[in-house]
Amino acid sequence: MEDKLTTRRKVLIGMTAGFGAAGIPFAAVPFLSAWNPSAKAKAVGAPVKVDISKIQVGQKIQVAWRKQPVFVIRHSKEALASLSKIEEKLDDPQSINIDEPYRNINPTRSTSDEFTVIAGVCTHLGCSPKYYPEMEPQPWDQEWIGGFFCPCHGSMFDIVGRVFKGVPAPTNLKVPPHTFSGNILTIGEDGGIA
Amino acid sequence: MKKLLIVSFLCFISACTFASESAPCGDYGECETFKPQLNNLESLQLGSVTFMNNCYGCHSLKYSRWNRIAKDLEIPEEILSANLVYGQTVKLGDRMTGSMDKVTAESWFGISPPDLTLVTRLHGSDWVYTYLKTFYEDSSKPYGVNNMVYPGAAMPNVLASMQGQQILSCKDVPMIASNGGVRRDLSGNDITEEKCGYLKTIPNSGTLTEAEFDEVIYNLVNFMTYIGEPSRADRERIGWYVILFFTIFTCFAYLLFREYQKDYH
Amino acid sequence: MSNQSSGIFNWVNDRLPIKNTYERHLSKHPVPKKVNFWYMFGALASVVLIIQIVSGIWLMFGYENTEEGAFASVEYIMRDVDYGWIIRYMHTTGASLFFAVVYLHMFRGLMYGSYHKPRELVWIFGMTIYLVMMAEGFLGYVLPYGQMSYWGAQVIISLFGAIPYIGESLELWVRGDYYISGATISRFFALHVVALPLILIALVFMHLVALHEVGAGNPEGVDIEKYVDEDGVPLDSVPFFPYKILNALVAIGIFGIVFSIIMFFFPEGGGYMLELANFEEANPLSTPDHIAPVWYYSPYYAMLRAIPDKLGGLIVMGAAIAILFVVPWLDRSKAASIRYKGNLSKIAMVTFVLSWLMLAWLGTMPVTELRTTLSQIGTVIYFAFFLLMPIYTSIEKSKPVPERL
Repeated sequence: MEDKLTTRRKVLIGMTAGFGAAGIPFAAVPFLSAWNPSAKAKAVGAPVKVDISKIQVGQKIQVAWRKQPVFVIRHSKEALASLSKIEEKLDDPQSINIDEPYRNINPTRSTSDEFTVIAGVCTHLGCSPKYYPEMEPQPWDQEWIGGFFCPCHGSMFDIVGRVFKGVPAPTNLKVPPHTFSGNILTIGEDGGIA
Repeated sequence: MKKLLIVSFLCFISACTFASESAPCGDYGECETFKPQLNNLESLQLGSVTFMNNCYGCHSLKYSRWNRIAKDLEIPEEILSANLVYGQTVKLGDRMTGSMDKVTAESWFGISPPDLTLVTRLHGSDWVYTYLKTFYEDSSKPYGVNNMVYPGAAMPNVLASMQGQQILSCKDVPMIASNGGVRRDLSGNDITEEKCGYLKTIPNSGTLTEAEFDEVIYNLVNFMTYIGEPSRADRERIGWYVILFFTIFTCFAYLLFREYQKDYH
Repeated sequence: MSNQSSGIFNWVNDRLPIKNTYERHLSKHPVPKKVNFWYMFGALASVVLIIQIVSGIWLMFGYENTEEGAFASVEYIMRDVDYGWIIRYMHTTGASLFFAVVYLHMFRGLMYGSYHKPRELVWIFGMTIYLVMMAEGFLGYVLPYGQMSYWGAQVIISLFGAIPYIGESLELWVRGDYYISGATISRFFALHVVALPLILIALVFMHLVALHEVGAGNPEGVDIEKYVDEDGVPLDSVPFFPYKILNALVAIGIFGIVFSIIMFFFPEGGGYMLELANFEEANPLSTPDHIAPVWYYSPYYAMLRAIPDKLGGLIVMGAAIAILFVVPWLDRSKAASIRYKGNLSKIAMVTFVLSWLMLAWLGTMPVTELRTTLSQIGTVIYFAFFLLMPIYTSIEKSKPVPERL
């Protein structure tokens, strides 16, 4: 069989192969898109609303968002004032090493000057740190002035979730996008500040 | 030989199309034709309002989600929440699970009102359209109404306030002879006979005229057709492009094939 | 090709016969130079097999193989998964077109005597593939767990009950429960997704290996191996690449048009591909007015219903498929292709096709006395076509088969 690759043949091969190949990315779209979070996942992962008027000063509540615990803490003025004393113990007091959505607005790491909203997931291996707000000596720190202690491997965080030096956890507790509107805190929605 | 096969195949196909069974729309006979307009957003929006106001009290749409309707029908989410969603705890991403609980429904109607998400796919939009228009007064039934398309339906006539009341009546119709023609008497007038089973609306018993009511039901069934398959408009739109792609591809492939066929033909 | 990549290629090729296999079975494989469109359906069948596997895998991302979740999960795929509806319709359209293509492929075999010596084993593998496909299609149809899924399964599983002595235990064993339930769904799911596809792929592989061993046939029924050149390559052949690839490409293009028209505009196939009753969740307490299988089973369903006895119907239905396996030995004609067979074969073929189509139509319809009689006639014609074949192919006068293409 002769197989002379004439110009006509080259053109026809080019056109057929080219046109066919051009269809491939379009055909791939449904198959790739099907992997995206479905409407069900988006619904379950939707923002959660919390009524913060019920939270007392010094209290921490826990809310589920995207299958994670989110801590909402209402700080007293004294507690916030004590934050300056703890800076020397902290690894990353300015939250430079992580994605911080509301940096340098308030000491609370939030758009609110009273509330802190942080993911209750230890940045070491994912356990849920416990809240110890009282300024009294603790087994893990004789000079404890309040914060979080993770029972799994002993990581420590201050009352706004910043990590101590010399603990297994590498970074501060993450701040999820959130926004305040009157008495309603919406976790998972940004409000356009960050 | 091949011609014989082709002809026989065509006969078979035509035989199929004329095969008909018992009337598709019950006592009403042939269903009224319904042609959806899935790109007519206004109709779909009006239909969604009619559904929420008249149907959602008993029937759920449990496979669809609120925010999908907002997106497809281009209703802003705040307006949807304010006007169509009943219930404080409902989030827009939730499924439309309905407002009536099963136990209550069964005690009231004897049967739980079925979920309607797929009803137009199950019975056809024609059927649903005709069903909604053929309720009539029947004192022998628990809720005082019966339906021509689905005799014995347990559903009360929620549309009576708009349509007015319908009754079964008799009227004089021309007699049809065995050859299909109309029987006439010696002076050329049609001979009539009385036939019963026709629907007649009692005048002024409803808020809408017949034409207005038909439009309301059209929009409602249009919405229900959409809800049965929300991606249908997309499907038909994308389909044209895919067919076009394959048509052009086939042309190129054919030219290439013929070019190479010269080598051995 | 740079030295480095050819070096790597040669390293691999020394250890895995890539080049040799490619040339023997693809690029240089000799195929008859003149075949018509009937010879494209095998390639199309493999394309559909790939479509079914890919779309099937993607469907599994969203499908829930439980009694409670199955039906809702299909609607989840249709609505909540991005482009899930494309994947679902691709799979349902592919299922119907798989059978359409395979029936046309089988018909080509009957028309052109593709089963004649030395291709009997190719035919037998093919028939086994068909049998496995029928099981695969049935198992798949139960999974969406609509009304027709449930009641179709009920009917077919109850057929097992017709077998004497072991029937009822067999029914229980197949179902895994006293009635069709989640136990049935999960096992059907495993069979449909893993077991039968693996068997199917193995059979397709054997089918192709057997075919390549003896070479493809042609519409004339000519033995192209009789006249070869000095290298042993048949004179009436062309290498597979590029000639047959290009032929297949055109077929794929046209098939793409047909597939897309159905998938995007008539995915329900008028209620014959996606039965409308299946848009209602399975309800064991309420039987649909009219239970009918999907179109591709309907000729055999018509035969099943035509026989008044349950076990008899099952035997006849089984025999109708079993008899296909032995066609290579029923055909005594000297000519392989219908083009050169006598008039008796031609009349038999036309009658067979018409009667098969009639049976297919009858299988979709509710039962009436007339239709049962017609089904019985159709069944008799179907069997007569095969059982009388040794006689009419021997006594008729066939034309001499040409030597060359």
